[in-house]
Amino acid sequence: MNMADALHTFLAESRALLQEMEEALLKLENDPADPDAVHAVFRAAHTIKGSAGLFGLDHIVDFTHEAESVLDRARGGEMALDDELTGLLLECSDHLGRLLDIAADGAEPDEDDAAHGAALTRRLAVYLERFGEGEQLPVETGAAEPRIDSAGPGPDGVENCAWHISLRFGRDVLRNGMDPMSFIRYLATFGEIVHVVTLPDAMPPAAEMDPECCYLGFEIRFRTDADKARIESAFDFVREDSAIRILPPGCRIGDYLELIESLPEDTTRLGEILVGCGAITPRELDEMLAIQEAQGGEKDEEGRPPLGEMFVQENVVQPEVVDAALARQKEVRGRQAQDSKFLRVHADKLDNLINLVGELVIANSGLGMLAARNKDGATMEAVSGVARLVEDIRDSTMRLRLVEIGETFNRFRRVVRDVSKETGKEIELVIQGGDTELDKTMVDRIGDPLTHLVRNAVDHGIEAAEVRAGRGKPAKGTVWLNAYHESGGIVIEVADDGGGLDQDAILAKAQARGVVAEGDELTDAQVWNLIFEPGFSTVDRVSNLSGRGVGMDVVKRAIEALRGTVGIESHAGRGTTFRIRLPLSMAIIDGFLMSVAAAHYVVPLELVLECVELPAGEGDADNRNYLNLRGEVLPLLRLKEHFALEGERTGRRRNVVVVQWAGRKAGLLVDELKGQLQAVIKPLGRVFSGLRGISGSTILGSGEVALVLDVPVLLEQAVQKEDYVAAQRIKSSRENVRVARTETADQ
Amino acid sequence: MAKTVLIADDSASIRQVVGMTLKNAGYEVIEAEDGKDALSKLDGQKVHLVISDVNMPNMDGISFVKELKAQPANKFTPVIMLTTEAGEDKKQAGQMAGAKAWMVKPFQPAQMLDAVSKLVLP
Repeated sequence: MNMADALHTFLAESRALLQEMEEALLKLENDPADPDAVHAVFRAAHTIKGSAGLFGLDHIVDFTHEAESVLDRARGGEMALDDELTGLLLECSDHLGRLLDIAADGAEPDEDDAAHGAALTRRLAVYLERFGEGEQLPVETGAAEPRIDSAGPGPDGVENCAWHISLRFGRDVLRNGMDPMSFIRYLATFGEIVHVVTLPDAMPPAAEMDPECCYLGFEIRFRTDADKARIESAFDFVREDSAIRILPPGCRIGDYLELIESLPEDTTRLGEILVGCGAITPRELDEMLAIQEAQGGEKDEEGRPPLGEMFVQENVVQPEVVDAALARQKEVRGRQAQDSKFLRVHADKLDNLINLVGELVIANSGLGMLAARNKDGATMEAVSGVARLVEDIRDSTMRLRLVEIGETFNRFRRVVRDVSKETGKEIELVIQGGDTELDKTMVDRIGDPLTHLVRNAVDHGIEAAEVRAGRGKPAKGTVWLNAYHESGGIVIEVADDGGGLDQDAILAKAQARGVVAEGDELTDAQVWNLIFEPGFSTVDRVSNLSGRGVGMDVVKRAIEALRGTVGIESHAGRGTTFRIRLPLSMAIIDGFLMSVAAAHYVVPLELVLECVELPAGEGDADNRNYLNLRGEVLPLLRLKEHFALEGERTGRRRNVVVVQWAGRKAGLLVDELKGQLQAVIKPLGRVFSGLRGISGSTILGSGEVALVLDVPVLLEQAVQKEDYVAAQRIKSSRENVRVARTETADQ
Repeated sequence: MAKTVLIADDSASIRQVVGMTLKNAGYEVIEAEDGKDALSKLDGQKVHLVISDVNMPNMDGISFVKELKAQPANKFTPVIMLTTEAGEDKKQAGQMAGAKAWMVKPFQPAQMLDAVSKLVLP
């Protein structure tokens, strides 16, 4: 029999297994939960992998390994075998078949096959990534007892170039089928055993001796060119219950010292340095660390014996090598000390601090009100001094929570790279404003919507290279991620230089779905906003990338949950920009307090443009929903009517608070203006989660509750109302057409 | 006298390659398809080393090793278990049964020969 025969057997066996695998996969398509089928697929993959290694068919081993890892997850019930994955696995099984054919011809896979395999592996890797590949096997901490007699390095001279090996086998080594002599004989296959001393110290009196036990220890001087790991590997099978010490020969010390000097900068631990230069093996390090922990107690760094001393004491390595490693460690640490000016603080601690500052703000404004009521000038002055300080503390505290968005942006380099490879488009990602800071909570929660927008930009936004060439654009598409501050908030832009949104397609789809009636005239912005409707997609082909059933409506909802808005700007043939606006912080804001009837409302101060008195006669005469502000026409929202508030209006005159958001303005009609305050925003209860126009509540110094107005939503409502009224007017009076158009255009 | 090694694996190709490698190195080799087959081929006779797969039809590797170790002739026979999964629970069960040496598939023939020669030289 020869290797060719064996290969033949392997091929026949593997083809049969592939057949089984395919059948099982087809079964899984109908019943994805069938455990037998999953197991059959796994078993086929791992048997092929196991045998392929024997024939040096490494490409088959590598390729099967990835599929096996995925299947292992599926077998463990951690991963569901959906249609997509089953399809992918079928493709893998086809590819394996091809690899086997190639192996049968005695050839190597050519470039096409290799590329195909790599593509499949990448797709499999996506699944693994989702489930956090890189599981760690528990580290086996050697329970061996080091009972080493003083077996120091041999005398100088000829023997100085021999390794010193101390062996203390476990009592059960013979019962386990291991013969100590076989290991010593094995050593002789790659070196010269200079001297063996047998230590019978542990041997009990004859009456107590168990002939099936091993009581002997050995001290061996061994000369070889092999490294420490190779010598250690000789004892692989007995390592777990034996004590083994391997001391390098004196003439090796010079080599180790040179290696220590040439190690990379980032090794700062003594153990890592010693392992890095080969003076100790990783197993020796693990064992010593376990002993160190056992001796020094749990976390008491001081009480532990120094690792370096232990290595020397245990005859694992010479003191010279440890000294060199320690010097190296000191040098590297000194360099790293400069980088360690950052503190890592648990987010909960920060949140707690912010809460307390919030309470402080409320308590202080209560104090201020009390002082004002008592007309106590001195106290009022003291309170305002404290208020200034509290404001500073608040700002500093809030700043603690701010992180740069750059890290989140950088994540998309990978996304863009992968997606562009998959779609075959050449795309460059340009990141701007990565140093813009925003609240950690928002950074965490903006990732998913951004991912969706970026994928969309790459998949649907950027056209294929031929189309781009036809339009006179560079073949390489560009996607921009940009962040910057704007009037108390932060703006994140996802832009592409692709084909832009297809207005006609969106309208047609919207009409087909009944979202828009035929003949409706919509502004550009209104058309773009249609894509945020649930279940809206203009792409017929559901691609692998974006068409995963998560629509733009989810993106919009996620952003709104952060009290933000998203807007679209698109130009046919030139590209699309998604502009996300987010408030800077979510917990404490500078607010403007006002009252309507008996209710208090707060708007974020940075959104307030100005406050004006409602001119007598303006708005009162008819229930007009617009306002003439120095010749500019603004929508006017009457909060009393809007929120259907009961009770008499307070104050002698009526005021208009002009607010602005995302370039749109509107007036809010209120009774009284109460002025600026610091508002600690508390979220509304679950019951009110569907409420539109109110985003939260805050407690005033007096203990009363004020509602925080959701200005973006109110603006939208004001504009809609005005649009509606305007449309009514167009119908009723042709003369008014021109006026009404001006109004709508303003919004 | 040449040392005898028994290999039990349901994969014919593994048996062939391991068998061939060991024969070339000077061992006598007995091949078996599973635990049951191995026990009947041994028939209570002593072997110097056993190489056994874990997952096999009829009788799996762990039950096989348990029975093997119960035979007086093979009480001290070293065993190398072959496995594709380095699962801790399996490994423990195997150690209880008396198999201290493990090799994870896939391996090269030379690796197998090296492991065998640590336990038994031809």
